[in-house]
Amino acid sequence: MSAPTCETPATIDADVGIVGAGPGGMAAALRIAEAGLSVVILDEGSRPGGQIFRQLPDGFVHANPPAEPPSHDAGHDLLHAISGATVRIEQRATVWDATPPRGDEPGRLWFEQGSASRLLRCKAIVLAPGALDRCVPFPGWTLPGVITAGAAQVMVRGYGIKPGARAVVAGSGPLLLPTVTALASAGVKVVAALEAAPRIAALRALPGVLRSGARLREAMFYARQLWRTGVTLQFSHAVFAAEGDGCVQRAVIGKLDREGNPIRSSAKSIDVDVVCTGYGLVPSIEIGQRLGCKAVWNEARGGWHIEALSFGATNVERVFAVGEIAGIGGSEVAIAEGHATGAMVAGILQQRPVLSALRDRATSVRRAADAMLRAFVVPKGVFSLAGDDTIVCRCEDVSAACVRDAARLHGDSLRAIKMGCRAGMGPCQGRMCTPNVQAIATRGSCQQWDEPVAQVPLKPVRTQTILSAPTK
Amino acid sequence: MSGDLRIGGIRRGDSVEFTFEGERIVAQKGETIAMALWAHGQRVLRNSSRDGGPRAVLCNMGVCYECLVRIDGAVVRACMTEVENGMSVLRGGKP
Repeated sequence: MSAPTCETPATIDADVGIVGAGPGGMAAALRIAEAGLSVVILDEGSRPGGQIFRQLPDGFVHANPPAEPPSHDAGHDLLHAISGATVRIEQRATVWDATPPRGDEPGRLWFEQGSASRLLRCKAIVLAPGALDRCVPFPGWTLPGVITAGAAQVMVRGYGIKPGARAVVAGSGPLLLPTVTALASAGVKVVAALEAAPRIAALRALPGVLRSGARLREAMFYARQLWRTGVTLQFSHAVFAAEGDGCVQRAVIGKLDREGNPIRSSAKSIDVDVVCTGYGLVPSIEIGQRLGCKAVWNEARGGWHIEALSFGATNVERVFAVGEIAGIGGSEVAIAEGHATGAMVAGILQQRPVLSALRDRATSVRRAADAMLRAFVVPKGVFSLAGDDTIVCRCEDVSAACVRDAARLHGDSLRAIKMGCRAGMGPCQGRMCTPNVQAIATRGSCQQWDEPVAQVPLKPVRTQTILSAPTK
Repeated sequence: MSGDLRIGGIRRGDSVEFTFEGERIVAQKGETIAMALWAHGQRVLRNSSRDGGPRAVLCNMGVCYECLVRIDGAVVRACMTEVENGMSVLRGGKP
């Protein structure tokens, strides 16, 4: 929790190191601390909770907090428990390199914190870095005022700031609903809420919702909130373009055909100052890849994810994966997996048996999430929304035409396109555009992107951080 | 867009003053540079490196690097950097 000072040691040791203080990381940490082991969480945020249980900054108090979905009760419980536990959380810590534990050699997590270059050594590593919003480019999406669904929620729930006065929410998947709810609670007029998937997708998601009591209560909460705000979710609809002079002033919205292709004749313009966009989430896997963990493809789980076996074990000894890094599944999954993995890590280090009930619970919650998320696979037609001059890679300003040319000249592998036009070679290291470049190059016919290669530093850090990094 | 976009009914941190492109901005302790500027109606945080187009917060969680700004010559993510008294912030990207 503390800012680094002169007395802050550069190198710290713990039994277990955890990356990410979201639901999965917190649940795992609590189990490990309960067993009497020392545990340190490295978290990039300013307070624990991750994105889903994002808290207002320290010292901010909501006089009249807005209604929250039932799933957030679990978040409050975790945050309360972690504040009273002997879990050390290093906030604003950006992990930029890692090595796994081998024999008596500890695992190592190098991180930048403020201007300090630090190292955490530990006997086991639990990865719970979460996920990022999936964007699908459309004309005008670089205009100030186009933000991800997650960004809108962070503004409202994390800082108490309105994204704008009038908003459209568009994309696909269960995350659109909390975004609409958050905006409405902040007094933002939600002019339209657009789901790219057809109505039948919602029906296909139903079995997964009904199988879990918690998910059903969640769905009922959002249905009530939508009804209260008077917003109707329009299926088979998308934002075709954002327009405005220097910032978003209008959005062109319209209907999609069964494959997700825009039906141009249905287009109409609405006045908005914010466009919130999100086509689900993509797991953040690079730290797992760097540690040697195997990644596998599962479209319903957001694409490439780290393969987590029983109790979150990966193919790398004493490296575990919980929550979104093991495939998108939501906070309920992350918590269940965090508990199972935390207990297993403690069991391994203390050579004690572990209750199989924890694993069974994680498996069952994960199955229900899979069943629901299968319904919201991105329809292929939305990749033709990007016009020739629409930017695909924002960091390097690479347009859709450049991506398509590169694919024609060099081949449509991720690597060939990257080499041909620099897409994915900017500071975000391809995090935002990688899921899109091959789909855009092939106009949606190739939606499985090649497994990206993790680069060190895993996130851009200052040169001085690398040069002054503790080596042992 | 004008005025303050902070939602009412929230008790906030102490006031903090910094400058953005020379303009004095009053923020609340605990806010990031990106959020303080957004609340103030100032969205454009950098100009893109090729065409110079205006860019702003996209992900707001430290992933997309669209909000890069400069403080004392260092390039930082505005959405991950808390405001401090006397901070002098400049737009990132093409000057």
